[in-house]
Amino acid sequence: MTFAVVIALFLGVRYLLVPKSFGEYGHYRGLALAENADRPLHYSTSANCARCHEDIFGDKSKGHHAGLSCEGCHGPAGKHVLFSDSTHTIKLADSLILKRDSTRQFCAVCHEKNAARIKILFDTINKSVVKVVEEKKHNHLFDKETHKLLNCIECHNPHDP
Amino acid sequence: MDMHFQHLYEVLSHVKGFIYPNEIELSWSILIVQYPYITGLVAGAFILASLERVFKVKVLGPTYNIALLTALAFLMVATMPLISHLGKPQRAYEIMTTPHSTSAMAIFGFVYLWYLMVVLLLEIWFDNRRDMILWSQKSTGFKRFLYRAFTLYSNDISPRSVALDDKIGYIITIVGIPSAFLLHGYVGFIFGSVKANPWWSTVLMPVIFLFSAMVSGIALVMFLYMVISRLRKVKVDMACLDTIAKYLFYILILDFTLEALDQIHRIYEAEESFEILSLLVSGKLYITLIIFQVFMGMLIPLFTLGLFQFYKPSEKIRRITYLLISMLVLFGIFWMRWNVVIGGQLFSKSFYGFTDFKIGLIGSEGYLMAALWFVVPFLILAFLLWLLPPWKKHPLEEPVSAE
Amino acid sequence: MRKPMDKSSRRTFLKSGLVLAGGVVASGLLKPFNAVVLAGDKPKGEGPWYGIGIDIEKCIGCGRCAKSCKLENNVPMEPFYFRSWVEQYTIKKDGEVTIVSPNGGIDGFKQTVPDNEIFKSFFVPKMCNHCYKSPCVQVCPVGATFVSPEGVVLVDPNYCIGCRYCVQACPYGCRFLNPEKNVADKCTFCYHRLQKGMSPACFANCPTKARIYGNLRDKSSELVSFIKNHTCMVLKPNLNTGSKLFYNALSMEVR
Ligand code: HEC
Ligand code: HEC
Ligand code: HEC
Ligand code: HEC
Repeated sequence: MTFAVVIALFLGVRYLLVPKSFGEYGHYRGLALAENADRPLHYSTSANCARCHEDIFGDKSKGHHAGLSCEGCHGPAGKHVLFSDSTHTIKLADSLILKRDSTRQFCAVCHEKNAARIKILFDTINKSVVKVVEEKKHNHLFDKETHKLLNCIECHNPHDP
Repeated sequence: MDMHFQHLYEVLSHVKGFIYPNEIELSWSILIVQYPYITGLVAGAFILASLERVFKVKVLGPTYNIALLTALAFLMVATMPLISHLGKPQRAYEIMTTPHSTSAMAIFGFVYLWYLMVVLLLEIWFDNRRDMILWSQKSTGFKRFLYRAFTLYSNDISPRSVALDDKIGYIITIVGIPSAFLLHGYVGFIFGSVKANPWWSTVLMPVIFLFSAMVSGIALVMFLYMVISRLRKVKVDMACLDTIAKYLFYILILDFTLEALDQIHRIYEAEESFEILSLLVSGKLYITLIIFQVFMGMLIPLFTLGLFQFYKPSEKIRRITYLLISMLVLFGIFWMRWNVVIGGQLFSKSFYGFTDFKIGLIGSEGYLMAALWFVVPFLILAFLLWLLPPWKKHPLEEPVSAE
Repeated sequence: MRKPMDKSSRRTFLKSGLVLAGGVVASGLLKPFNAVVLAGDKPKGEGPWYGIGIDIEKCIGCGRCAKSCKLENNVPMEPFYFRSWVEQYTIKKDGEVTIVSPNGGIDGFKQTVPDNEIFKSFFVPKMCNHCYKSPCVQVCPVGATFVSPEGVVLVDPNYCIGCRYCVQACPYGCRFLNPEKNVADKCTFCYHRLQKGMSPACFANCPTKARIYGNLRDKSSELVSFIKNHTCMVLKPNLNTGSKLFYNALSMEVR
């Protein structure tokens, strides 16, 4: 008697506590799949930028930076893509990512000279995936008017370097 | 949150070599050190009690009830450090409702309940049922209500039912021994089965945990027995103490052998992780492992107790030594848990470096929380001793005044 | 008034109590033995089953993967939480290995060893290996982490109890406790992007295509030919985790 009651109680409580979708596909909440799939996007894709920035997109796709994604430099533009039109603009979330006058540091993330970038093997440069410069040496010039260091983008077009 | 990050930045500045970036913060902290320590005390105390009951080591009589009540008191808080360490304590019930069959941790809820409900509570209940009925007749007020409630309002103390109590209690103890082994061996398995961590992953882990549990539980009962006797101003039973010490000595030998075997095996096999582990032992864990755990908690007690097997100094000296030894052993086993739990997380799974560990005073994983879970069991024990004082139990021969 | 309970009723109560407790425990204990280990075979199925290929020779260590991962998935910016990060290994001529991963590579790398001492140097991007015999899934006590039908190891943040056993069980250090949500957190293979037909953030933002992903069941996929045409290795193969992250040109120093 008591036995049956307590078992029933345990099963009843268990029934109430276990989420409905549990065990649908395996030992987990089936709904978790949908929840994981429904999270909001932050990044769009480069192809989406072409719609409005076809000039830049075109420039880039014929230059050395063709393999780079727009958002790799500019940061997440999911919202920008959805809502930017001539009347209603959403600025990119990431002016924090790419500031015009910080390109010396920014470009260096990929182009700073580093042994691992030029693949030194047995003392010879064996292979190079990316051209490197030494940020401290390469055109380390000061602007005559502002007395600031010349930014990389003064000489290189970031979209077609 | 900011304080937490600040703390981590500080740890970051103490990182040596290379560690994976996610390893800077230790996932398991002081509370998880406590958890195997406390369950170990439970299992050890219970096994000491079963020596008297099942293996009929009658000299241990005076400690039998203390051992059981100690086990109960500590078992009641054993889960608390675990639950308070969870990121989402309110979801802890899920471990009972949807236990994952492949997880070593999942059956913890069931093992724990089995041990608490079926073994300890029932055993203590059967052991004290007759006395509770008798006490209920002598006491008044709340205490009487408690006794009445706990005895289910029955006052059947006929010789037959008392004999039945005894028999069931005996059976439960027999069931209890493998259960105690299960409870603590299983805690060892939680660590021993983590293949990602070479410091934990050894088949000997459950066995080592078991023997160190016995060592610590026996030492605790020994310690408590002396303290309680002191508080009650009665003389300790020296024969009992000597016997406990003898068992402590034997199990210490086993424990020491197993731990040494584990380390020798590690050293001789010298696997991929060997360099980092030897750096760990000779560096970050030097004080807690070599000095605290091995030297103070293991070698000194082993040597002293071993000496006492041949040469018996006066009672007074023995008493004091036993008190010191039991404290040393308790101290040593605590650091043993520490070295396993914290030590296993100090080195990177890349085997290229070490992180650092510092705990704060407050917060859900600080000293205060840990201290709380060390104090509460003693309060519970005090309550249990008040409710079921072993020294006021009625010997079976004593004529019982019928109502 | 005390009503003496009669003996037999007390006994039946106790007996049924014992049986009950035993039954509950037994059902709890027996079940695990049916499946103590995770199945050793690859799961059968029709749909895509994702794997990853990383070409160490192509990686320039720009850290865009780590950065975009954090931004896409709201991972805290503090340098203690990474779903994806980059390490630089430098092996000196005397054999000494130096490894760095400043802020997971997000802010770029500074060469720490002078050129003339270097034997070789390379970047190793790390992320969840999405193992199919995954140790982290094996140890989760409540079923809050699991392998999706696409072979993606996911966490259910609304079910996780935050015990961190999975963090301990991951040999690759790919899991952490999210300090804001207090639940386990890890790479989701950008499951939300994948299901919309977009590539995960770290793949989309890699400038050199050093990392690719693909369907391991489709023998004509880019990933399968990558594995076929290169000598690939997984990390810590001795642990038999069933890792689905294949590295080309992986040096033995990498762990
Ligand atoms: C719906 C059309 C549209 C799409 C799609 C679009 N943009 Fe824009 N974008 C604009 C407009 C309009 C402006 C000018 C807004 C301004 O000057 O304030 C702009 C400005 C910019 C700027 C100037 C920086 C700033 O915020 O001041 C950047 C950089 C940019 N877009 C990047 C992108 C990238 C990268 C993508 C692809 C992921 C993209 N855009 C897709 C419409 C679009
Ligand atoms: C190598 C990094 C990089 C990549 C890749 C890149 N950009 Fe830019 N982009 C820059 C920088 C740096 C500037 C600032 C240049 C300036 O102000 O003259 C910029 C400026 C812009 C502007 C503002 C132009 C203006 O004249 O003010 C737009 C719009 C833009 N980018 C869109 C894109 C789009 C679309 C793509 C992808 C097709 C892209 N960018 C890819 C680095 C990049
Ligand atoms: C995300 C990494 C990345 C960033 C950021 C980046 N580049 Fe590049 N860049 C590349 C890669 C990769 C190539 C080589 C592409 C190829 O030719 O295959 C390249 C090529 C170049 C080249 C051509 C070199 C040659 O082959 O002659 C120049 C010049 C250049 N980048 C300048 C810049 C400047 C200036 C910036 C900053 C605005 C910048 N890059 C930012 C990745 C990057
Ligand atoms: C004053 C103008 C100027 C500035 C500023 C400048 N560059 Fe250049 N860069 C050049 C010229 C001209 C070349 C081609 C001649 C050469 O190889 O030196 C060049 C070449 C390069 C190359 C290709 C090197 C090769 O081996 O072929 C890279 C990469 C590059 N620059 C990156 C950068 C980066 C990154 C910055 C910012 C830190 C930068 N540049 C700033 C003028 C400039």
